Amino acid sequence: MIPAKERVFGLNIIIVGAGKVGYTLAEQLSREDHNLTVVDTSEDMSRRVSDALDVISIRGNGVTVSALEEAGAAQADLLIAATDLDEVNMVCCLTAKNLGTKYTIARIRNPEYLENLGYFKRDMGIGMIINPERATAREIARLLRFPSAANIESFCRGRVELMGFRVQEGDFLVGKPLHAQADKLKKLSMLLCAAERGDDLIIPNGFFVPQADDTLYAIGQPAALDQFFHTLGRYTHKAKSVFVVGGGRISVYLAKLLEKMHVKLKLVEQDEERCRTLSELLPGAMVICGDGTDQEVLDSESLTASDAFVALTDRDEDNLIISLYAAQQGMGKVIAKCNRQNYASIARSCGLDSVISPKQITAAQILHLVRGMENSQGSVMHALYRIANDKAEALEFTVSKNTHHLGVALKDLKLKCGILIAVIVRSDRVIIPDGSSCLQEGDSVIIVTRDHAILDLNDIFDAPGPVGG
Amino acid sequence: MNFKLVFNITGRVLMILAATMLPSLAVALYYGESGAPFLYAMLILLAIGFPLSRLPYEKKMFAREGFFTVGLIWLLMGLFGSLPFYFSGCFNSIVDCLFECYSGFTTTGATILTNIEALPRGILFWRAFTHFLGGMGVLVLTTALLPFMGLRAHFLIQAESPGPVFSKLLPRQAQTSKILYGIYVALTAMETLLLRLVGLPWYDSLIHAFSSAGTGGFSNRNASLGAYGNPAAEMIVAVFVLLFSVNFAMYFLLLCGRAKDMLKSDELRFFFALTAIATVLVSINIFPIYQSVWQCFRYGFFQVTSIISTTGLATADYMTWPVFSQVIMMLLLLCGACAGSTGGGIKCARVLLSLKSIVREIRQIIHPRCVSVIKLDGKVVPENTLNSIALFTVSYFLISFLAALVVSLDNFSFATSLSAALTCMSNVGPGLDVVGPSGNFAAFSDLSKTVLSACMVIGRLEIFPILVLFSRRAWRRT
Repeated sequence: MIPAKERVFGLNIIIVGAGKVGYTLAEQLSREDHNLTVVDTSEDMSRRVSDALDVISIRGNGVTVSALEEAGAAQADLLIAATDLDEVNMVCCLTAKNLGTKYTIARIRNPEYLENLGYFKRDMGIGMIINPERATAREIARLLRFPSAANIESFCRGRVELMGFRVQEGDFLVGKPLHAQADKLKKLSMLLCAAERGDDLIIPNGFFVPQADDTLYAIGQPAALDQFFHTLGRYTHKAKSVFVVGGGRISVYLAKLLEKMHVKLKLVEQDEERCRTLSELLPGAMVICGDGTDQEVLDSESLTASDAFVALTDRDEDNLIISLYAAQQGMGKVIAKCNRQNYASIARSCGLDSVISPKQITAAQILHLVRGMENSQGSVMHALYRIANDKAEALEFTVSKNTHHLGVALKDLKLKCGILIAVIVRSDRVIIPDGSSCLQEGDSVIIVTRDHAILDLNDIFDAPGPVGG
Repeated sequence: MNFKLVFNITGRVLMILAATMLPSLAVALYYGESGAPFLYAMLILLAIGFPLSRLPYEKKMFAREGFFTVGLIWLLMGLFGSLPFYFSGCFNSIVDCLFECYSGFTTTGATILTNIEALPRGILFWRAFTHFLGGMGVLVLTTALLPFMGLRAHFLIQAESPGPVFSKLLPRQAQTSKILYGIYVALTAMETLLLRLVGLPWYDSLIHAFSSAGTGGFSNRNASLGAYGNPAAEMIVAVFVLLFSVNFAMYFLLLCGRAKDMLKSDELRFFFALTAIATVLVSINIFPIYQSVWQCFRYGFFQVTSIISTTGLATADYMTWPVFSQVIMMLLLLCGACAGSTGGGIKCARVLLSLKSIVREIRQIIHPRCVSVIKLDGKVVPENTLNSIALFTVSYFLISFLAALVVSLDNFSFATSLSAALTCMSNVGPGLDVVGPSGNFAAFSDLSKTVLSACMVIGRLEIFPILVLFSRRAWRRT
């Protein structure tokens, strides 16, 4: 995990609701040295939170003025409402905003509220709306568009993408240091920016030797990455038909996205009443009523005729088991939803590359926002993704005139250990930096970091330098 | 069954019916004909209607009362509406009078008259005016004119207006009825004016406007609209019968400035697509006969709109056309107009939903566990609506075939017997062979005429209100 940078004051943050998302957030934000207060109605939850985390835990209803005042809503910088009920979250944000909280975030998940989001932001004082299910669906859709990768993040409005993939026995990369492969890699506008081997994370240099079962992260222009996967012999086309098990909210969001991508969808759901609703919501999808964990159902609906398989039931265990079955049947792309961290790593060791966790996607979204709030003066952070099981972060900054060492060639710069300047985007041109490249004002820079929580672009330099170019 | 209420409403409707004879009486007097047939009929109607409408009643009204009342009233309307025909002495028998009158009210337009032009103008006016009344419905008119305070009048309208689903336009039924009639009268007036402008006499314009407004088909000329040889009039009528076969709720949307919602209607699009395809096919098919694109379109378009709207006016005899065109006509006749319009037939909405059900059924065979709902205009259609549509369609054909069986006793050709039953059931008018556009129903026996009259009423009210009358349970007091 990334140790927090030393700071005198963190932000005052209130989290209402200590459920899955609330707890994860409390855990991560407290680790980054913020002052957290967690409000929950349940006695048990409150005790669990105060026992396990270094936070204040208040038992009370987050929509009441008294509970919010007790939690210090008047002085708080941020309130995150993450209870199970959308409406409670809204009222909570509204109340807190009126009490004087600077910024509020509400978790709103009901697809029917989707069209009202603008009103909520304007009239209810909600600064940001997070929808874990929708974000997860987007993530899955991105993976389906490019099935070669185990995970994908995009920067600079899609101009740069970061993809993870697992090295297999027999890939041309295996066993040779990267500098020996320069002829194959150099001409592509891409970079291998991180490698995960077992529990270690390595920022590769020219002497790094990839081994089978490493997970490598490649960053660069989408076209270059396509080219790379072609060279690797791992290129697969965009999925044209997808088989989804589980008809929850993620599936609905996903189906809507896939419909726009003209991807055929088969959806298996157990509950008949839910099936009717799904069929009503998703006219383009084929809704099948049956138990998705039953092989009979999967086979009779010709599972293998689809290009990709997505497991989105409520139970992590079911998702992983049926995903393993689908992978065993030789399906090109298998994606499983799994909220539990420990299961995810087991799944990866069994060969399921694409395991996604809605909880973590949400946490990353909020973390990005919190870091941005802390650093409102410096260079602007546009994106933050956590990769390789949270062992590394990839961040996008804009270089401002306050950035140090402008115009200095990178080979002359001393960066902190474990930090890589992966990509520079200068007026729409994607540059993979070498020793002679330099930073200029207005550039977008993508940084990959292993050991540091980066708030500002200047944090990457080992020694401060002259400001301005 | 709340009989007092049923009879009370019946009484009021009969009085309204008496009032609707006034324009015909005026026309008769204007042309110097005897007003006696209308005066007698009105006196009888008032004599029966007034005491009935004075009956004290309880305000308990449910769907069964609605269905029962509508069924009863439509039967009585035919009886009393035929009185002017009977008193005029121009008809051969009471059965003929009844047939003509039911054909008028149900907007069928099938006639037993061989020489229409010989009839007095007042009687011909009443004959066309029954189309106008029957098109939108007499009960809709009654609810628009008389206040039914505290009564659930929508049960009446529901039973009378055609289509699988009934849509309330406004919260109050009286307002809805007034708006419906307002649109109806406005469109009819517009058509009359346009017909007058292209050269038809006032009287003829009115008759044909009534005839197309109700999508009926009675004309005051033996050769129907074709007698004028006026292409402009034909096109006007063709366009207006299409307008009258559209769900009137669409015009309401249009008036509210929601034209977008109107264009999204699945049924409307299906209806116009069907009309366009049929017109093209028929026009191509009859090209060898007319040898000119314009003539083919003129006759093809008019005949297609006339049949799909279930009007039945004619400008050309399609019995002289290739069989392919004749079969298309029969298919259009079965399909009919949109729900909530003045047209008849099975209705486009039902046909569309049946087609969708069939597609779903096939899908269900391939994927037995597949769950899918059927939507119309983006809204889910409940399963029981789909079931009743299937039942309706089966009953429709069953009754048609049974009627054809009785008619076949007259020993006309197969096409004649079957098409006569279907055309009466769909409220179109012309069928094939003997009952084709240039023929008429005069040759049938009294039995056949009675059965066909019954078919017309059953078809107009969409079967169940009439069947309720024959249910023993309905006659029990509650």
